[in-house]
Amino acid sequence: MNREWNDFAETDALGRDRELAEALHHIDPASQDPRYWLKFRAWVMNGAALELARRRMIAQMTVGDVVHSWARALVPTALLAAVLAGILLWRFGPVPPMTVEELLVSEIQGETIPVLASPAAVIFASERF
Amino acid sequence: MSLNTFEAPTDGELVSRARAGDELAFCQLVERYQRPAYAVALSVTGRHEDAQDAAQESFLVALARLEECRSPERFGGWLMTIVRNRSKNLVRRESLRATDEVPPATRSRVPTPDRIAETRELRGLLKKALMDLPEVQRQIVLLHDLEGWKHREIADRLDLPCGTVRSHLHFARKALKHALQSVPGVPEMMRAAR
Repeated sequence: MNREWNDFAETDALGRDRELAEALHHIDPASQDPRYWLKFRAWVMNGAALELARRRMIAQMTVGDVVHSWARALVPTALLAAVLAGILLWRFGPVPPMTVEELLVSEIQGETIPVLASPAAVIFASERF
Repeated sequence: MSLNTFEAPTDGELVSRARAGDELAFCQLVERYQRPAYAVALSVTGRHEDAQDAAQESFLVALARLEECRSPERFGGWLMTIVRNRSKNLVRRESLRATDEVPPATRSRVPTPDRIAETRELRGLLKKALMDLPEVQRQIVLLHDLEGWKHREIADRLDLPCGTVRSHLHFARKALKHALQSVPGVPEMMRAAR
């Protein structure tokens, strides 16, 4: 059995097993290409450019920009609503105002009292008593 | 001027700046976590190309979902979760791809005198030995013995108790050494590759 290989309990300042760390170093892509991590970062940053630009744009928006962006949607909607209201008013004409008397009796059943006071009701009562 | 000015910015500061589209801040986050992200991805996929893709894509996903990182100071742990999930998805998608970087025949092959070939073979053997470990042990041994992360950092970022990390590391090292020493010629290759 190889003694050198077995005795690797030695650790570095970071607590890494020296020999194992050395062995694992071989699976680090930078062991083959020293510029690997630079390229890796460049690829990620290239892919992130659009999203970062979008975030910068949002972060730089002022209150005025936000109001303006709202106004762009709000003004046409309000105009459309006003035009629709105008058309409806023009087609059906103005509703005639109601008088106070009309308002007071508008939803009351007019026959309630006459029914109670009708001759049939009186007859019914007299038959009973 | 305060000495703090010269200290490296915390993850929380970098995340906050990256959320506002600060390119330099995001670049610093990538620089800080690119190697651990690759190590975690490699521990799941076992293939360099897949690990590279998963790690790179994870940074882009993390940037797009930066608002979902509830504790910016723990960006590393959050990123590692993304890396693990993306790597697992990649493996699932490519599960039908049966090619293996390390053919079993390499185990019994006598190392060639060519230094490059030896290094390549050693790399293959290491990957094979690593892939025989449970996933969590692979992650821990790579983050500790390759990336130099401390037990506490690994525990924090993988959301594991510190004692568990130590225990996994112990068993991973033991299993790796055992696996490698049982391969004829590996100790000689190790010395030659130095």
